[in-house]
Amino acid sequence: MMGRKKAKGAELQTKRFSAAMITPTVIILAVMTAYPLIFTLVYSFTDYNLLGALNSAPEVVGVKNYLDLLTDSYFQQSVWNTVKFTLLTVILEMVIGFALALFVNSLRKGQKIMRTLLLLPYLLPTVTVALIWRMMLSPNYGIVNQVLEAWHLPVYNWFSDIHTAFGMLVLIDVWQCAPFVFLLLYAALQSVPQDQYEAARMDGAGSLKILFYVTIPNIKSSLALCALLRTIDSFRLFDKVNLLTGGGPANSTATITQYLYNYGIKTFDFGLGSAGAIVMTVIVLLLSSLYIKRAIK
Amino acid sequence: MKRRLLALLLAGVTVCSLTACGGSTSGNNNESADASAEDGTTQMSIALRGGVYADVIKECLPAFEEEHNVTIDVQELSEEDLHTSVALNATSAQGAYDLCMVDGSWMAEFTNAGVLANLSELGYELDDDIIEATTSICYVDDNAYLAPYYGNVTVLMMNKANVEEAGYTVDTVDSLADILDICQKAQASGKKGFIYRGDSQNNLVVDFLPILLSYGGWVVDENNQPTVNSEAFVNAMNYYMELIATGEAQVKDDLVASVDSGAATMGIAWPGWYTPTADSAADYIALSGKATDDAQAYNANVYGIWCLGIPSNSQNKELAAELLTYLMDPEVQYGTVASGGVPCRYSSLQDEEVLAEYPQYEVVCQALESGVYRPVISQWTEFYTTLGSEMDNIINGAKTVEEGLNDAQAALEELMAE
Repeated sequence: MMGRKKAKGAELQTKRFSAAMITPTVIILAVMTAYPLIFTLVYSFTDYNLLGALNSAPEVVGVKNYLDLLTDSYFQQSVWNTVKFTLLTVILEMVIGFALALFVNSLRKGQKIMRTLLLLPYLLPTVTVALIWRMMLSPNYGIVNQVLEAWHLPVYNWFSDIHTAFGMLVLIDVWQCAPFVFLLLYAALQSVPQDQYEAARMDGAGSLKILFYVTIPNIKSSLALCALLRTIDSFRLFDKVNLLTGGGPANSTATITQYLYNYGIKTFDFGLGSAGAIVMTVIVLLLSSLYIKRAIK
Repeated sequence: MKRRLLALLLAGVTVCSLTACGGSTSGNNNESADASAEDGTTQMSIALRGGVYADVIKECLPAFEEEHNVTIDVQELSEEDLHTSVALNATSAQGAYDLCMVDGSWMAEFTNAGVLANLSELGYELDDDIIEATTSICYVDDNAYLAPYYGNVTVLMMNKANVEEAGYTVDTVDSLADILDICQKAQASGKKGFIYRGDSQNNLVVDFLPILLSYGGWVVDENNQPTVNSEAFVNAMNYYMELIATGEAQVKDDLVASVDSGAATMGIAWPGWYTPTADSAADYIALSGKATDDAQAYNANVYGIWCLGIPSNSQNKELAAELLTYLMDPEVQYGTVASGGVPCRYSSLQDEEVLAEYPQYEVVCQALESGVYRPVISQWTEFYTTLGSEMDNIINGAKTVEEGLNDAQAALEELMAE
C-alpha cells in the first residue's frame, strides 16, 4: 500500500517537473508564434493600412482581401513560381547533397577538408551570395560572360532575360543550400551500422543494391527531415529574388513573399499582406503535413 | 483536464501579451529619442537616404553638434527602407527620428497621415534662393512641410566617343529622334545603345517618365485619374520599345560602368551617380523634351529630389528645426558641392567657381528649373508597382503595348477609385 502511494507520488512529481520544464517553451511559443499568427489572421479580414490607420481605425472587410488575392493574376503566377522553384530546388538539392554525402563518406582520406570546403557556400550570408553571383553574371564585367565570349558561345543578360532569370535563381539556391543537405545526410550516413554493409557485400550485393536496400532505408528519416526543411525554406524564398531580380522580368521570378512585399509591405497595405501570409502558411502546412503527421505519430 | 489546463495557459499567455503590446497609449519610450543624456548632451537621431545624399549631410554635422552640444545618430537607409522606417516611426507617439529625408513622391501619403511636422509653425520658411520649381510639392495650404535638399533630377548620361562616332556631339543631341538615331548607329557598330534599369517597378517607371513627358503625356490627368493608355502614352511606349531594343536592362552600377566604358551609349541617370569632368568618357545633358527636332518642347526632367522634413512625433522639434535651418543654409550647402552635393540653390549651381570646376552643374540647374515631380498622390507606391509590372510585361513580350497599357489603366482606375 505504502509502496504504491510512493510510486504514485514519484510519478506525479515527474509529471510536475516535466510540466515545469516545458512551460517556458510553451509561453515563448505562445508569445512569439500564437500572438503574431492570431493578429495576422485578424488583420487579414480588415483593410488595415499602416498610415491610413493613423487617421481612422481599420474596417472589417470580410474575405475581400482573400478574394482580391486569389483572383489576382500576379498572385497566381507568384504561387506557381514558388511551387515550381520549391520542387526544382528541393529535388536538385536533395540529389546533389546526397551524392556529395555519399562521396565524402566513401573517402578514406581528406573527409574533414572536403566537409569544410563543401560547407562554405552555406556559411555565406545570402546578401553576400547574391552580390557574388550578381558580379559573376554581370553582363558588363562578369566572369561568366567573359568566359563564354572567349569560347565563342552566346552570352546572356542573366537576370534580365525572361528565359534565364528563373534558372539562375534556382542555380544560386542549389549552390548555396545543397551543402546543408550534404551536412545532414553525411551525419546520418556516419550512423549507418557497418555490419549491415559487410553482410550485404557477403551476400553479393552490388553498390546500387547496397544503396537502395541498406543506405537509404537507414537514413530515410534524415532524408524526410531534410526534404521538409528545404521545402519550407525554399517556399519562403525572398532575399535572393528581391536582391537579384525584384520579381522580374515580367513577373517570371516573383515568389509569394516577393508579391507580398511589393503589394502588401511596400504599400503598407497590411490587410492584404496578412491575407497573403495566411494563404502561404496554409500552403506550407499542407506541403509539410505528411511529415508532421508522421512525426506526431 | 490536462488539455483544458494547457488551453487555459495558452489563452492566458496570449491575452497577457496582447494586453502588454496594446496597453500603452503613450507609445514607445525610444531611448534614441531621449532628449537628454546624463552628461547634458542632447541626443538626436536622423534617418537619411544612404550614399552621397547622406555623406554630404554627415560632413556638415560636427559643427552643429559642437555648437548645440548635441550628438546626432545618423541612420543611412535604402530608399525602400527609409520609406518604411519613416512610416513605422510615425505609428509611435514618441518618434525615434528628429529629422528625415523624404522623397517628393511620398509627400501626399505622409501629409495625409500627419507624418510630417508643419515647418512654418516651427519658424522655418523656404527662401528665394531655392529654385522655385523644386518647392512646388513642399507646401500644403501655404505651410511648408518639406525643404528640397539634394537636387536629384533625371539627366541623360551618354558616352561621348559613341555619340561622336554616330555623328553628333553631346551638345547637339536635341530630341528623342536624335537619341534613337545615335543608339541605333551604336548598335550597328557592335555596341549597346540605350541601357535602362529593369530591376524594379519603380526604376522601370522612372526611367520611362522623361520619354513620356517628351511626348506630352503623363501618368495622371489634372484630377489625378490615370491616363496610361492615352495616345501620347502609347506613342511614347512604342518609341521606348524601339529605343531599348538597341540595348538591354542593367542594374544601376552596370549602367554607369557600361556607359563610362563605352560598352553602351546612353541611359537615364541621376547626377549623384556620376561626376563628369572635361576628361571623363561620359557626360550628361538635360533632356530637351522634344520628340523630334520640330516637335513642341515639354518639361521632361523628372525630379527625384531628396527633401528634408521633421517627423511630427519628434521629441526635439525646435532643435530639429534649427538643424534643418543650418543644413539648408546657402553657405553650408555651398560647402557640400565639393563632396558631391547638389543643392537646389542658384547661389551654388550658378556660382562661377563651382561652374569652373563642375561645369555639369549648369545642366543640373537647367533640369531643376524645368523638372516635374512624380504625381503627388497617396497611392503612388501602388500606382508605380502596378504600372511597372505591366510595363515589364510589355518590355518582355508577355503583352502587347495596347494590352499592357489597357490592363494597367483598368487596374489603376480601380486603385484610384478605392
